[in-house]
Amino acid sequence: MTNRDPWTARLSEYVDGELAADERVELERHLTICGECRTIVADVGRLRDLAGTLADREPGRDLWPAINARIGGEARMLPLRRRWAFTLPQLAAAAVLMLVVGAGGAAIALRATGPAASPGPAVIGPADPAAVPIALAASTSFDHAVAELERVLAERRNLLDTATVRVLEQSLRTIDRAIAQARAALLTDPNDPYLNAHLAETMRRKLNLMRRAATLVATS
Amino acid sequence: MDDPTPAVDSPTRAGPDDAVDVALAQSGDTQAFERLYRTHVGRVFSLARRMMGPETAEEATQDVFVRAWEKLGSFRGEAAFGTWLHRLAVNLLLSQRTRLGRDRARLEPTDGVLEHRAGRGPRPELVMDLETAIGRLPEGARQIFVLHDVEGYKHEEIGAQLGIAVGTSKAQLHRARMLLRSHLEPQARERM
Repeated sequence: MTNRDPWTARLSEYVDGELAADERVELERHLTICGECRTIVADVGRLRDLAGTLADREPGRDLWPAINARIGGEARMLPLRRRWAFTLPQLAAAAVLMLVVGAGGAAIALRATGPAASPGPAVIGPADPAAVPIALAASTSFDHAVAELERVLAERRNLLDTATVRVLEQSLRTIDRAIAQARAALLTDPNDPYLNAHLAETMRRKLNLMRRAATLVATS
Repeated sequence: MDDPTPAVDSPTRAGPDDAVDVALAQSGDTQAFERLYRTHVGRVFSLARRMMGPETAEEATQDVFVRAWEKLGSFRGEAAFGTWLHRLAVNLLLSQRTRLGRDRARLEPTDGVLEHRAGRGPRPELVMDLETAIGRLPEGARQIFVLHDVEGYKHEEIGAQLGIAVGTSKAQLHRARMLLRSHLEPQARERM
């Protein structure tokens, strides 16, 4: 049954330009006398070209709801309002945020001065047990996410109005100082629940602020 | 196998600038991740349908995006997000292929049929439903055909992905092409 042309199995390699030079010359000599191999070469070439142009096709139904449920999206999603600039209430909130963060930093400073320092300020609230391990464990991913957001914002800051940029940068500087203070304090007292909670909360606030700004430029 | 970091910049079609949404998604924003999903779902689903078959393509597509969400923190932007996602999808789909049923109708993989068909009749009309024909290829030949001829991978990359020799990849590709040619041939004849 196998009465096969010995070159047949090499024709795809020929079409793909993968034969050695001497083999190629020999095969091309064969093609001058073998119509069947010439036909296969032409067909394989067209088939390869056609395969490279196949169009993508969307699934028949929306898969996002199922994906969103699997990644816990409903719980994580934040209500981001898409605007071209921060509103007055948002600017006010940023100012409050700076005060809050500043208060946290002051508390850290007080704690660093001696064991008699008072408990943390009420604005931060009690240490969230769930947040304690997050602060240190999430630092690497937090830094990476922030770096990416910073890069994006740096590239597209011209899409935000001047007042927004000014408030944003001022707020971020304040938050960064607070994060640096908290991290420094944690170096000497890594298991302090208040410090961990404060760092986690401050990191979360920074991400939220940057995400809001990045969303503005993303939808511009 | 799950590491989607491309050793070689894998082939990908041009995509939009995803940088903002990637950064937002990395910070936990699922709305940004949804935008990435909507941008890339067609490409991922098509890859899954061709490699896994239509029966499991939707589930496999979901798996790819869930895995992408889980791995998003490891994306460093060395390649385009679409390239990274594509590589991750290929890895995941290949890892799933061995645990899925293989009871779908396939073309006869024997050389006898191949030789018989290839040796007679007019040339196949290659504008036939190639998608359907790809879906009926034997699994190994199908995956290599999809990766090489549709997705543009090189034999060396395919060999590394599948753990096979380059020569085996070439042989399977040729087998797939000849089977497709012979499968499309009768349809071409009907249209003549």
